[in-house]
Amino acid sequence: MVLAAYILLIAIVSLLTTRATPEIWGYYLVEDGGSFPITHWENVIGRSKSADLNIPLVTVSNNQAILSRYDDDHWLLKDLESENGTFVNGQQLDSDKRYLIEPGDEIVMGGVYSTVTPPSVEESMNNEVMRRMDKEPVAPWKILLAITIFQAMTVVQLVLGMGEKITAGAVASFIVLAVVMWAYVTFFKSMGRKGFEMEMIAFFMSTINLAVTTSFDPSSTFKELVALLLGVALMIFMCVYLRDLERTKKVRPILIGLSVMALLINLIFGRAEFGATNWISIGSLQMQPSEIVKLAFVAIGAGTLEELYDKRNTVMYALFSLYCLACLALMNDFGTALIFFGTYLVVSFLRSGDFSRMILTAVAAGAMGLMVLKFKSHVAERFASWGHVWDPEIMDAGGYQQTRTMSMGAGGGLLGLGAGNGSLKGVVASNTDLVFGFVMEEWGLIIAVLLVMCIITLSLFAVMSIVAGRSTFYTICACGAATIFLIQTMLNVFGSIDLFPLTGVTFPFVSTGGTSMLSSWAMLAYFKASDMRRDASLAVRRGEG
Amino acid sequence: MRKQERRALICLLLAFVLFAGTGVFTYRYFKDGAKWAGFYGNTQIFTDGSINRGTVTDRHDELLLHCSPDGLEYSDDWTTRVSTIHAVGDLNGNISSGAINMFASQLIGYDIVNGTYDTSANGKTIQLTIDAEANRTAYNALNGRTGAVGVYNWQTGEIVCMVSTPSFDPYEGVSEDNEESIYFNNFLSGAMTPGSTFKLVTAASVIDNLADRDEFSFECDGVNQYGDSDTEFRCVYEHGEVDFREALAVSCNGAFGKLSRELGGKALKKTTDQVGLSKSLEFDGIETAAGSFKFPTDDDVRLSWAGIGQAQDLVNPCAMMVYMGAIANGGEAIEPTLIKSTSFIDEIRGAKTIGRYLDESTAAELKDMMKNNVVENYGEENFPGMDIYAKSGSAETGGDDSDAWFVGFTNDEEAPYAFVVWIKEGGAGASDAAPVAGQVIQSLQNSNYYE
Repeated sequence: MVLAAYILLIAIVSLLTTRATPEIWGYYLVEDGGSFPITHWENVIGRSKSADLNIPLVTVSNNQAILSRYDDDHWLLKDLESENGTFVNGQQLDSDKRYLIEPGDEIVMGGVYSTVTPPSVEESMNNEVMRRMDKEPVAPWKILLAITIFQAMTVVQLVLGMGEKITAGAVASFIVLAVVMWAYVTFFKSMGRKGFEMEMIAFFMSTINLAVTTSFDPSSTFKELVALLLGVALMIFMCVYLRDLERTKKVRPILIGLSVMALLINLIFGRAEFGATNWISIGSLQMQPSEIVKLAFVAIGAGTLEELYDKRNTVMYALFSLYCLACLALMNDFGTALIFFGTYLVVSFLRSGDFSRMILTAVAAGAMGLMVLKFKSHVAERFASWGHVWDPEIMDAGGYQQTRTMSMGAGGGLLGLGAGNGSLKGVVASNTDLVFGFVMEEWGLIIAVLLVMCIITLSLFAVMSIVAGRSTFYTICACGAATIFLIQTMLNVFGSIDLFPLTGVTFPFVSTGGTSMLSSWAMLAYFKASDMRRDASLAVRRGEG
Repeated sequence: MRKQERRALICLLLAFVLFAGTGVFTYRYFKDGAKWAGFYGNTQIFTDGSINRGTVTDRHDELLLHCSPDGLEYSDDWTTRVSTIHAVGDLNGNISSGAINMFASQLIGYDIVNGTYDTSANGKTIQLTIDAEANRTAYNALNGRTGAVGVYNWQTGEIVCMVSTPSFDPYEGVSEDNEESIYFNNFLSGAMTPGSTFKLVTAASVIDNLADRDEFSFECDGVNQYGDSDTEFRCVYEHGEVDFREALAVSCNGAFGKLSRELGGKALKKTTDQVGLSKSLEFDGIETAAGSFKFPTDDDVRLSWAGIGQAQDLVNPCAMMVYMGAIANGGEAIEPTLIKSTSFIDEIRGAKTIGRYLDESTAAELKDMMKNNVVENYGEENFPGMDIYAKSGSAETGGDDSDAWFVGFTNDEEAPYAFVVWIKEGGAGASDAAPVAGQVIQSLQNSNYYE
């Protein structure tokens, strides 16, 4: 207990107190207007107050042009269909194309001369010094040790609580998890990486996951571990892949294609479980494609600043979202549909420029209508028992799962009955949809609430990190992933304790379920990609971050 | 980028909603956690729907119920089982106010920090405030009649006797035709016509409102016609000329009808509300039935009936008992309780007051008049060794016989009891209900004098 609180506290405090100083990539010099440091890879130049490089002259359009980084010395300039046009060295820019800018090139917007210069060596040095003064991410060793002790204690508790029912495979899974955790940190530490708080949080939550899985059914622990390891691998792969923005952008059409296929296959071959047809079986392997599509959904929703001003890109995203929602509606998967819809709203809000707002709003309205029509009866049924689960005629019917969750959860008190000692496992979906109650019962309210705080911390970090963000692509990715985590946690937790109708979604990292575990870990890559603390993240090239 | 940065704050909003929701739940957990944990769906502590740990005893540690995974084990004695079942509760939770249901969370040893964690799995022992011997006495005294007996210590609030009949033996099957009434606790959940016991409320109102009450006089001819010739406030016999004090002692309907008219509906309603008879009481999580009254301001006849405890007056026995306690306690009402306080802190803090029902002087005058009732009418010799203050009632409810009431208190430092006895169609209060009260108080004095 104390150990768990210690682990989380260190990680949370470290994540929330270390800040990245924005890096200066160059200077934008304006005639009679002085020079602006360029702190992002992507910058809007314009009259609008929200423009990154603000030129308050009426002859300049609100959003005149986008200046984005190409390499150390070069920048790309793209006109945003500005009223008076943008000229480089006397030549007017075609708003369909991007133009390579050399340092010192003469840029004219609305009659104002400007130019871009690289930072001087001295300034680079200063900046470097500033960044070195940033608070370093906390060293991982103490937390690592704490988690390992925690894992060992968990195994002891499980053995005591479950006696002969526990299997060797389950115990081995914990050992493998600990080994992988140490290997992961040691390896990347030796590569010079420093920030591991997010992974520590995820490893901690995963430990609880394995404990829940074991308590529920020890024979499935190993399978859960395999999914977890696949998830870690996928996360590492994604982190490395995400480093290169151009490469990432190129892979998106493929992701769209795969997602469309996956959902289609799900629709055709799907198997119903608890009302929603969101499972498919490949041989003995069962999976939920929508969990994986979630990952793609984030990347597809994100875009570079330039893309956000591109209608085609916006339309593409809107159509893809609509398709996903339609599929989920057909699958009767209300919970996941809500997650997608919520994420769509947040991402749209982030994306919406002046003209893309219309398209996005229209699609949102359409999607809403679709959801209402499709889920009307289903939702009415769930809403009927919502808030009334303790009514005598509901507590054993529509409120059965919620009343059991709260009742046995409360039985756990603040400190829990101990891993393996719970009774909630006798209730259907207790290790997935009702996992909050499961944790309350076996681990106590404090840890259950701390798990929620973990998710909140991750999302707060995502929001804080974008101040030093390079591209809106990473920003939107991080916020999209945070939104998915937040909404999922909300639906899961609130659903099981009657603060919201029960929708049956998983708690990221904590709920038992291979696909869910895999996608939770992979989703972490989006957070890592926005972590701009120096050398902290393996999703950012060394020295660059 | 700046625009996106600012908009990313929407994630903070989501995070806040999650945080706030978790906060709301945590609050509910602290507020209702005990109730949740005691829910029969909790299979940690319920086997086949019945609680599997914990013990319930009376105030002298006499075993009333022991719960184990093998089932419920009640007292070996039939009379004990039948007379305490409404206090203890039954297997199926039909008696909602029974300890097994109301105090399930204490029984299972729940606490906020450890939940139901209990290495011995034996649960806790709840000591009820009732005296099993007094309950047996009351049950036997009711002798098969439908009724309710409640006695509490008006200083500490401890309910020492609580019996409701008809009752049943939890070990025996229950026939369906009387299922409703046997589960019903008349004392806590009943509301019945108070008859003349209500004159104690009217009298309190007179003391508060009529300064010239000493000059009051009424000529009782036994029939006491009023208004048109159809309306009669009959008395048991011709009382002749009575003053206020005498009117209560002989329970003269004619005189109290007149007093009610002099008071008016508003004053009567105010006093009734003030002495807690129109509200439900809440204690130990139990909510008693609320009484209901109608005191018309434009109908003298019905107002008169209401003033003598007839018409639409309905009173809850427990509330009546607390009112008796308030008179005894100088006007201050003490909240009843069914659980013996276990903590030292509770012991020191003492009884919880519900508030002031009457002015001290009003309570004193009423008390004096209640003593007078006993001396003049019921006979002190019928209550040997008891310093008793009381009022009887015989409520007309349209049944074969009137409902017999006897309410009051003893003023004894060692045994300060307020009591209420109600027997459905039991006859006259003074002759039929009073002996039940006498026997129960006697039994209580015997077993609790030197505790």
